[in-house]
Amino acid sequence: MAKNLLKIDYEKYTLDNGLQVILYPDNSFPLVSVNIWYSVGSANEKPGKTGFAHLFEHMMFQGSENIPKEGHFRYIQEAGGSLNGSTSIDRTNYYETVPANYWELPLWLESDRMGFMLGGLTQEKLDNQKDVVMNERRQSYENQPYGTAWEKLFSNLFPENHPYSWPTIGWMEDITKFELNEVKNFFRTYYSPNNASLVVGGNFDTNGMRNSIEKYFGDIQSGGKVPGITVPPKKNIETKKIIVEDSIQLPRIYLGFHTEKAFSKNDAALDILSDVLTSSKNARLQKSLIFEKQIAQDVYSFQYSARLDGSFIIISTAKPGITLESIKSEIMTEISKLISGGITDDEMLRAKNSLKSSYIYSLQKLDLITDHLNHYNYFLNEPDSFLFDLSRYENVTKEQVIEAAKKYLLNGHTELNFIPRTK
Amino acid sequence: MIDRSAAPAPEKKLTFDLPEIKELSLSNGTKVLFVRKDKLPIVYTNLIISCGSKSDPAAKRGTGYLTSLLVDEGAGKFDSLELNGEFEKLGSIFSVRSNHDMTSMTLTSLKDNFNRSLELMSDVILTPRFDEKDFAREKKKVLDKILQLKDEPSFIASSVFERKIFKDSYYAFPEIGFENTVADISNNDIKKFYTQNYTAANSTFVVVGNLTESEVTDKFNGYFSKWDSSKKSSAIFEKPERAPTSFYFVHKKDSAQSEIRIGHLAKKRDAADFIPARIMNTILGGQFSSRINLNLREDKGFTYGANSSFQYYREAGLFEVSTAVNIENTGEAVSEILKELDGIRKEITPKEIEFAKSYLIKQFPARFETYAQVAKNIEQLILHRLDIDDLRGYTGKIESTEIREVSAAALENIFPEELVVVAVGEKEKIIPQLKKIKGVEPEELDLNGNPQI
Repeated sequence: MAKNLLKIDYEKYTLDNGLQVILYPDNSFPLVSVNIWYSVGSANEKPGKTGFAHLFEHMMFQGSENIPKEGHFRYIQEAGGSLNGSTSIDRTNYYETVPANYWELPLWLESDRMGFMLGGLTQEKLDNQKDVVMNERRQSYENQPYGTAWEKLFSNLFPENHPYSWPTIGWMEDITKFELNEVKNFFRTYYSPNNASLVVGGNFDTNGMRNSIEKYFGDIQSGGKVPGITVPPKKNIETKKIIVEDSIQLPRIYLGFHTEKAFSKNDAALDILSDVLTSSKNARLQKSLIFEKQIAQDVYSFQYSARLDGSFIIISTAKPGITLESIKSEIMTEISKLISGGITDDEMLRAKNSLKSSYIYSLQKLDLITDHLNHYNYFLNEPDSFLFDLSRYENVTKEQVIEAAKKYLLNGHTELNFIPRTK
Repeated sequence: MIDRSAAPAPEKKLTFDLPEIKELSLSNGTKVLFVRKDKLPIVYTNLIISCGSKSDPAAKRGTGYLTSLLVDEGAGKFDSLELNGEFEKLGSIFSVRSNHDMTSMTLTSLKDNFNRSLELMSDVILTPRFDEKDFAREKKKVLDKILQLKDEPSFIASSVFERKIFKDSYYAFPEIGFENTVADISNNDIKKFYTQNYTAANSTFVVVGNLTESEVTDKFNGYFSKWDSSKKSSAIFEKPERAPTSFYFVHKKDSAQSEIRIGHLAKKRDAADFIPARIMNTILGGQFSSRINLNLREDKGFTYGANSSFQYYREAGLFEVSTAVNIENTGEAVSEILKELDGIRKEITPKEIEFAKSYLIKQFPARFETYAQVAKNIEQLILHRLDIDDLRGYTGKIESTEIREVSAAALENIFPEELVVVAVGEKEKIIPQLKKIKGVEPEELDLNGNPQI
């Protein structure tokens, strides 16, 4: 197979102010994609101040010293580009993809907000974006069926002061209270070049790009040492069950098990375990719950692994008249069967072949590649890790998958039941 | 120190070579539109069949959708699970989707596994099994999905909105059907739908991949040369009329927001002023920096986002403003949208037009980056029966559009006195707000868009 395609030619260096730069020239299509990761996410927040990293991401689109409010959108769109940002528990990213002749524009825009964001900040802009984010919370979570399940699951799976116990968007009462000086402090603490990495991919001249990056980012002042994150040593390992009423027709169960962080020993085996359980019609839980017994409308699972920790999540919606107890019991039966009866060669082949081709398919889009380079750089300190990542999966054995299931899925866990409102 | 006050100028204008679309014919007459793309060892295939919910019998709405779910539940010598397993072993992704106008089967595969994947796809197209037990299971799944959709405010808002706009024509009904109509569908109905509609004469292949022209012809002839191409199906569209502005609402208990849809019937995709209308909508609500989004989101903070669009089905167009707002701001948000619809008819500045033209022209190449994106552009040509060279003229037509044409497009495509206004949310909160706008009592509808009795 065309595995050599997954070997990425890149150049990595660090500016004097600490900004990591990764250049990935690829002249096959007339686009340039700029992708910055700041090493700050909701895990850097404190209880009572949740949602701040995400709100701050919104503020980064409100202009800076030389860019007017919404200017980022206006400039990039007028150039025919696309742009956005996103906040996760571990990091915040910002990206622009532009026609190749506009390659310098994103550097100007990104460097202005990295270096000179506070000059454009006003109370009015903050108040406006607090309203927008509160509406984002209503639209994406509160007004969606099962929309608050994720935050209810994680706030119970992790202890109260664990950085993964609150939702990235934040609790509503925290969002309403943010003040302007907090925005300023957050910027000074986390948005320094030494806490960021810049990937530029696509059709450009490497020398010109290097010079221009130095020109726009070189004189931005380095920040202080970024404070670390304190992780409480204790996990909730006892089994608990939470029941929530919601405006829904069909009940849904969520099971959360503590596992391991991203790229740790069993991480890839847990991904394969998830594939074997739910990734297709033939997968164990889909086959049993949906195809044969027809007691569930859907079933999903995934190993959700991040920088500090990981968890394995199983979600299933019951058919009308079916109890969540019977769904859970069937899930646990299938897991025991897998542990005692083993996995077939066919199951491993299906999982691995699907994964392998998905790596090739993922090379179609420049902005995905640049984001992936930042992802690998962040976790592994090596941007060119597509092949390494794939080999992690290719090397997983049946026995390792069983071991991972045994080690983690038979332990205490958090069970969340979403049920239709009784009145 | 560098001067940061001005944006860096772009380098010389980009030249972009539009991929060449080859029109090939199989020996049974089926058309294959092919684009050679060599960057990666990938072949993307899409079979487009001209059938969908438009082809549903009136008493059995949802037949086309259910057929699309069942057609790959076992084919040839494989049962449902075996067939799925075969695709997985090849690392190929196969899926079937269906909308009002079209059913499409897409296959993404590595070049090395293309032959075997295409063979499996041909089994699905030519020899689906339609086993009784698969029918019973998938039908129940659809009925339970219809139940679940009652929870989704955005689905309710969109389907009720289209119901009001398209009245009793075939675009008025959700693809998935209704509880009572799906309940009446039998496995024989599915087989009949398949036989009448999944025919060669109704179908076109789109192929984008790392293959030569003759490889494509040979491989496809190998599997499809005997596919019968004599029967073509058709459905008759009864074009509705626009009506004076009416306000509707659907009650949704305990809602944190109201889902809003505002719009009306619009021209078809092949209208002479398609390009000026597109430029006009780009300014009105077609992207982040549009008037509607900047007003409702960045100025008022009513919403996470608001947009407007022209949507084109084969026989009709639809103009739609869509947003979800904090429920307390429902009335103000609707008023602001109405103001913007009036406003775009009154004045559009040359600066706005320059921005929109630049945006549309310069983003064009990026629409051809992935294999699926290239195919998507061709699918639109097929759906709207456009000339194969239509894409070639696209940016030039935008470039040469004049200010007065964009202003005229606003007058000829936006009708503020003929709107359907739909809000979905807690009725005690939204009724008084909607009433205040024009002093008209809003009409309550049920989840299917029928008058609430």
